[in-house]
Amino acid sequence: MFFNSLSFAIFLPIVFFLYWFVFNSSKKAQNTLLIIASYYFYSCWDWRFLFLLVFSTGLDYFTALKIENSRSKAERKTWFWISVGVNLGFLGVFKYYDFFAVSFSKLIEGFGMQANPFLLNLVLPVGISFYTFHGLSYIIDIYKERIRAERNFIDYALFVSYFPLLVAGPIERATHLLPQVKVKRSFDYQQAKEGIHQILWGLVKKIVIADSCAQYANAVFDNYESMNSLSLVLGAVYFAFQIYGDFSGYSDIALGTSKLFGINLLKNFDYPYFSRDIAEFWRRWHISLSSWFRDYLYIPLGGSQGGTWMKIRNTFIIFLVSGFWHGANWTFLAWGFLNALYFLPLLLSNKNRTHTGNIEGVSFIQGMKLIPQIGLTFALTCLAWIFFRARTITDAFGYIKRMFSNWQFKPQYFNIERYNFELVLMLVLFVGFEWFNRYKIEPISGKYSYPKICLAIIVLLLFGVYSEYKSFIYFQF
Amino acid sequence: MKKFVYYLLGLLLAILLAAYLLDYTFTAFYTNSKPRNKIALAYTGTAQEYDVIFLGSSRANNHFVPQLFIDRGLTAYNFGMSGSRLEESALLLQLLLAKGAKIKSLIVEVDLNINSNGYSEGTRANFYPYLNQSDLISSYYKNIADFDKLYYLPFYRYLKYDAKIGMRELFFTVAKRPSKNLQHYGFYPLKNTGKDMKYDLSKHYPKKNRAYETIKKICSENHIRLIAVTTPMCENVKNIAYFEEVVQLYPEVHNFEDVVTDEDCFSSCGHMNEKGAKVFTQFLLDKFFK
Repeated sequence: MFFNSLSFAIFLPIVFFLYWFVFNSSKKAQNTLLIIASYYFYSCWDWRFLFLLVFSTGLDYFTALKIENSRSKAERKTWFWISVGVNLGFLGVFKYYDFFAVSFSKLIEGFGMQANPFLLNLVLPVGISFYTFHGLSYIIDIYKERIRAERNFIDYALFVSYFPLLVAGPIERATHLLPQVKVKRSFDYQQAKEGIHQILWGLVKKIVIADSCAQYANAVFDNYESMNSLSLVLGAVYFAFQIYGDFSGYSDIALGTSKLFGINLLKNFDYPYFSRDIAEFWRRWHISLSSWFRDYLYIPLGGSQGGTWMKIRNTFIIFLVSGFWHGANWTFLAWGFLNALYFLPLLLSNKNRTHTGNIEGVSFIQGMKLIPQIGLTFALTCLAWIFFRARTITDAFGYIKRMFSNWQFKPQYFNIERYNFELVLMLVLFVGFEWFNRYKIEPISGKYSYPKICLAIIVLLLFGVYSEYKSFIYFQF
Repeated sequence: MKKFVYYLLGLLLAILLAAYLLDYTFTAFYTNSKPRNKIALAYTGTAQEYDVIFLGSSRANNHFVPQLFIDRGLTAYNFGMSGSRLEESALLLQLLLAKGAKIKSLIVEVDLNINSNGYSEGTRANFYPYLNQSDLISSYYKNIADFDKLYYLPFYRYLKYDAKIGMRELFFTVAKRPSKNLQHYGFYPLKNTGKDMKYDLSKHYPKKNRAYETIKKICSENHIRLIAVTTPMCENVKNIAYFEEVVQLYPEVHNFEDVVTDEDCFSSCGHMNEKGAKVFTQFLLDKFFK
């Protein structure tokens, strides 16, 4: 059941109605309904993996209590590592085993030996990377005594399985979400209205921007060997907007949906393509994952403290792990590696926190200074996206090589019967719209919200892509 | 909560209103603008008299050259549509007749397209702008799976088939951008010459085809001379006997698969280039229109 599907459009109003009109007597009733709805939502993908989700939830709930009630440090540690080991074990088996087996066999073959790796060929349970990280953050926080273990299983299960965030985040923290599910929610008209606006804007990003860009980006990436430099540059730009529209659109729908139930989720995107350097980009892109890695990996490793080599090591670890989190493929590792390379000079020159906060009202001269900064950051990001999107490392290098060697900049006609430049105007308008609304969570709320709603509806109907149904990219992670 | 329910109802109303208005606008433009495809031409064009028209898939669209007929003083038009099946050809023929066209002869390509009773989703979409206006089209499609949605839900047809009849196509229609579909009297010439051409027909079996039966019936009722033909393929075809099986199934079909054999007459194994199309059309002209 996708957020942009008809089945979700039926599911959501039913759950909304039951939540506020039937199960609204107590927090327990509200949470029970949301758990049932969430498990139903998840089982629509593949009911068999529901057992895995319930098991993972039960394990973390149980081990958290054991950690908290341990009489000795050793016992505490044992329960902690059992939880971490099992969580990462599931992730390893389902997501990474085949990759390691194939890579190892290729390495062996490189030495002239024969290897026939045993492959599992398992289907990746949807959302496993997200709910595993939910569970891990909870267990680590308990172990570090930052929070108390949750006694109420329903409340804890809802924290892990809450349907708006279940399959692709945002990756929530117990400190943020659990306090909200532990109290009865009352209906807030303003919050619900904002939720609707955010859903609407998320749909525009997904169905209009991402899905349109996907058609063009696919046409370029799937046939890069016959593309000229202009098409290859545009292909990378189209993919940059595809993945942004897709994932931030998904996040907006998730956050908006959650607001309808009186629960606020963590912000996941903050206009990342207006970043003035790569460090700022990573504070604005997939914020819940970046901050997760910062808090549970980078800082425990020593962060930016210590010597230069320590800083370099930690930077590479966090970006490579982040790349690998996305998928078991060398392309994601290369993407992480490239971002580490971008980030490192800023870190070593202590300029990684130069740009924090929003770009405030800028004068013309300031604006002129910003354009190259934002443009360079965007160009570097696009270059890295090529690795993210390419099927193989060889394809990624082939794509880049051709982009910088072909030097043909003529309009090119794609096999999808469209010219390479056709989407540019739409993207320019989209960027302009985002720029003038960059202080807001979504651009629809505030002044003139009704005309903007009408405009969003018309844009969705006129420019949305419906004939080629596309799932959200991050569901595969 | 009451306020929010009203708000949602307002939103729903805005969506329905926008959908209705857009549906009306799109349909009005498609009905009143210069046609950009053969279905629009048949629906919105004026009644014509044809000595001969051609129907079929891309193997008709790329293979029959009306200009050669016109040079002999005959009126001709190629209504073959790439990707289409006989189901759409049958409806197009009915549409032409319903609009008052007078047709003396019909040359229909009957070969690979009777491998199944299938239909072309993409070609069907070009009929949908006229679904609510034409009883012929709506009754033809009344049994398809999502007919009710297509017919009753405003703008649904334009959303579902946005690649074919959505905003982009409407823009080209309004901008009067010429379409290659309607140049050369409907004939679409292929320019290149294929290399290492081959085709596998081993999983193809000709079957009784409802749409072809319909075309035969329409021709009989309207006194149209029906000439059913198979068209050439390259020499490297696995199971070339398929074409004989077509004739066994429908003895009235003329098997012309081997009329053109030169490799340089083909763009791909299943499609002749312009040179091959001219050779083949000349052959038909000489055989049936002396």
